[in-house]
Amino acid sequence: MNLTLTLQDYLALSPFLIITSFALLILLLESFANHLARRFSIYLACFSIALAFVATAMTYSSTHPLLTPWIRFDALKTTFNALFLGVGFVSCLLGKVFLDKEVHSKAISAGEYYFLLLSSLFGLMLIGASNDFLTLFIGIETLSIPLYILAVYIKRVKVSGEAALKYFLMGGLAAAFLVYGVAFVYGAVGTTNFQSLSTAYGAMKENGGNGAYFFSGLAMIMGALAFKAALVPFHNWAPDVYQGAPTPVVAFMAVGTKLGAMAAFAIVFLIAMPNIDNKVSFCMAALAAITLVYANFVATRQTQLRRFFAYSGMSHAAFMLIAILTGSSEAISALVLYFIVYALATMGAFAVLATLGEDDEELSFEAVRGLFSKSPFLALAFSLCLLTLAGIPPTAGFLAKFYVLKLAYYAGYQWLVALALLTAVLAAFYYLRLMAIMFTVDALPRRQSPKVSRPAFCVAAIAGLALIYVSLFPFLG
Amino acid sequence: MFDPLLLLFFAPLIAAFFLFAMVKVSSKWTKAFAAICSMVPLFILILTPKLLGRSYDVLWFKPLSIHFNLSIDSLTLIFLYLTALITPIAIITGPIKNLSHPNIFYGFILFLQALLIGFFSTKDLALFTIFWEAMLIPLYFIINIWGGKNRQFAAMQFLLYMIAGSALLVFAVIALYFAASSFNFDELAKLSSTMPYAGWYFFIFLVAFAVKTPLFPFHGWLIDTYCEAPKTATILLAALLSKAGIYGVIRILMGIFPLYMQMASPYVVCLAVIGVLYGALAALAEIDMKRLIAYSSFSHVNFIFAALFVWNGYALAGGLFQVVTHSIVIAALFIIVGYLIDWLKTSDMQLTGGLARKIPAVCWLTLFFIMANVSLPGTANFVGELLVLFGVFQMSWWVAAILGLSVIVSATYALRFQRKVFFGQEGVATVSSGIIDVRLTYFAVIAPLVIATLWLGIYPRPLLELIEPVVKQIHLIDLLEH
Repeated sequence: MNLTLTLQDYLALSPFLIITSFALLILLLESFANHLARRFSIYLACFSIALAFVATAMTYSSTHPLLTPWIRFDALKTTFNALFLGVGFVSCLLGKVFLDKEVHSKAISAGEYYFLLLSSLFGLMLIGASNDFLTLFIGIETLSIPLYILAVYIKRVKVSGEAALKYFLMGGLAAAFLVYGVAFVYGAVGTTNFQSLSTAYGAMKENGGNGAYFFSGLAMIMGALAFKAALVPFHNWAPDVYQGAPTPVVAFMAVGTKLGAMAAFAIVFLIAMPNIDNKVSFCMAALAAITLVYANFVATRQTQLRRFFAYSGMSHAAFMLIAILTGSSEAISALVLYFIVYALATMGAFAVLATLGEDDEELSFEAVRGLFSKSPFLALAFSLCLLTLAGIPPTAGFLAKFYVLKLAYYAGYQWLVALALLTAVLAAFYYLRLMAIMFTVDALPRRQSPKVSRPAFCVAAIAGLALIYVSLFPFLG
Repeated sequence: MFDPLLLLFFAPLIAAFFLFAMVKVSSKWTKAFAAICSMVPLFILILTPKLLGRSYDVLWFKPLSIHFNLSIDSLTLIFLYLTALITPIAIITGPIKNLSHPNIFYGFILFLQALLIGFFSTKDLALFTIFWEAMLIPLYFIINIWGGKNRQFAAMQFLLYMIAGSALLVFAVIALYFAASSFNFDELAKLSSTMPYAGWYFFIFLVAFAVKTPLFPFHGWLIDTYCEAPKTATILLAALLSKAGIYGVIRILMGIFPLYMQMASPYVVCLAVIGVLYGALAALAEIDMKRLIAYSSFSHVNFIFAALFVWNGYALAGGLFQVVTHSIVIAALFIIVGYLIDWLKTSDMQLTGGLARKIPAVCWLTLFFIMANVSLPGTANFVGELLVLFGVFQMSWWVAAILGLSVIVSATYALRFQRKVFFGQEGVATVSSGIIDVRLTYFAVIAPLVIATLWLGIYPRPLLELIEPVVKQIHLIDLLEH
């Protein structure tokens, strides 16, 4: 067996290598030239992400026997990673808004922030490319550990520390469950590789195995992933952490972590083991149903913006889960459309929030009061994002949901379709409540008019335009 | 060559986006631009030869085989003419002064026009649903941003009613697609009756259309919305949006579920008749002008609903005729009431009176439309009402009797309105002496409506010729003997 890596193999790995090396470079810069790091790390981070994006788009692939058991080089990996890199890029831009505001705080340094963000991004990409439970686990942990630190990044906020501790402890528990579940699966079928799981399960069944270990393992894995995606009843950390963390970090969590966890779900339960058993599909349907009902009801009662987006994110994760549990051959394209739409809309919304958040502690609904009269464009972009999230036609959000529901209907989950549509009425209510506040003309007197930061404005504008584009031309393979 | 059908839909849409970008333009020019752009569809409709039967179809969203389909048949054409006529009029009556962000206001109205045109002309059920729900967005914004004192509540209530009404619409649409493997109306029309649960899908569609029109027990949103919306939006709501529900009934319920439509007939007619009387009686007791007209509109759309559900060819023809005439008359009445409220600074009829001496021309114009509203012979509404009553009488004499009775009630509230506002003692609220009786814009807005009302009243044949194929397709009768 030839063990040396050729240039082709390195090119195939290049997105990962680029992100890692730039992350380390930023860390070095931070350690030895603090003033340079403060000024340049955002550019370095953005540049590295752009470079990695190009490398991903080139779709180099490798057939090296040391790599292929662990990492996939298929179209899905490209799609996922391109999406994750886009999310990372936007998070970097939004991070600048936050860091500019905190420029006087000694406790916060730009280099560290971007290092952690890039590390998290690396974990995300590894999830997207994983071909084995091992790489998936490493990806999830690499994604999570920097986030435990980032969650507590505004150190002066009290709730931040408590939330981060909760996140860390429960995240650790979830990781333990994940590994334990993987061990069970390995014990039952003798492999952890995604390519061979299905056949190994079939072989086990033929040999008369009853699958108790296998399914216990899957249940634990599902629970751990549901924790990362904040699906009810594994959602408890999300609202607190979202409330305590800085807005750009929340944006990364709401989109990056969420999509990462759902991508993991898709890779395990849709790519590796599609329709493996009715019990598994039923568990996912139950998770989705509980999440839809709970998250949508609780979201109607929220008054704090970041908490609100925690619940809204949960309900969207439930929709993504519905796409996955159908096990249909079209599920991946429906899921990718949903990912793109959700990422654009949520990022756009958080870009607007990032421009507002002068007081990071309590970013309440009142912060958007009268936004329309101050900045109509920002308000319209925000409304477009909210309408997309609410899934009201003609926004792409409707098409994405429509597609998912069609698959669910075809797979025989009519009750889930009806439930999703009924809870969508609640969703419309809470998104509109937020919008209504934005259009109030009698704005509260503010100490100062919000300084609209340029990067955030650009993100909001681009997200808005992209949403219009996707709504008009939703062509997908 | 560019397809005129595409232009019909895209001209207002593109104009809307232009308007969104016109930030620094004065509100006067913005309004002029919007008014001109909104007339483009009317010109296309008039100038394009052989528009009837044209269609444009392209696969738009492949995984779900949703087609971007625009096609014109006579039913579509009736509603397109209405949209093309009413929207420019609504824009011209729109405000200039004290209007924040006029470009966005008029942009939304053009956006709404484009959506309405798309809605009335598509033959694809998925696209139909998209347009159906999308119409709510511009209206929500218009009511919420530019409405009256209680606008936020009204806008929210309006939207939630609508969304709740069509919550399960997507379910029914997917179910139909599951059965027919196509979203095309013609394909769907073939299967309906054999399909399992078709009755439920019929019911889901019926509720959605009934909320928007609105049919009797679903009218909770109506008064607040009509009264809080700015004048322009009220005109569009009463004249066009209510007709979207009626169009849906004809296109979907009659086209795809004719059997269930007949089964539901007694119940829906019963509700509609209650609605007619309820609206008329509420209008009789009302002291607020705008609310009075709103209740009157409610009463009349329920009349149309009854006409459609009675399941008779003449009633259907009359109903369709009333769709047109009701739009024209209710638009005119809301325009007049809107101006009156602007001048009087109140809409309370107890404070007004004796305006006939100050503004005689307005007085007689109002009387004209009030009379048209109660279907005086010679006005267009008479033709429609006569056809409806004729058709209803063939099916059930007592329904015809009640509907006939309602005409008396509506004459009573209409004349009461006229007396309270224009005759008698001069009220506390009166027009200031500076008001010019009939201004040029005012005349330009009202004149086409007067002409249309008289023309269709005296010579209804052109409209009946458009209506005939629709009736013939469903009821197999000849309306006009050739």
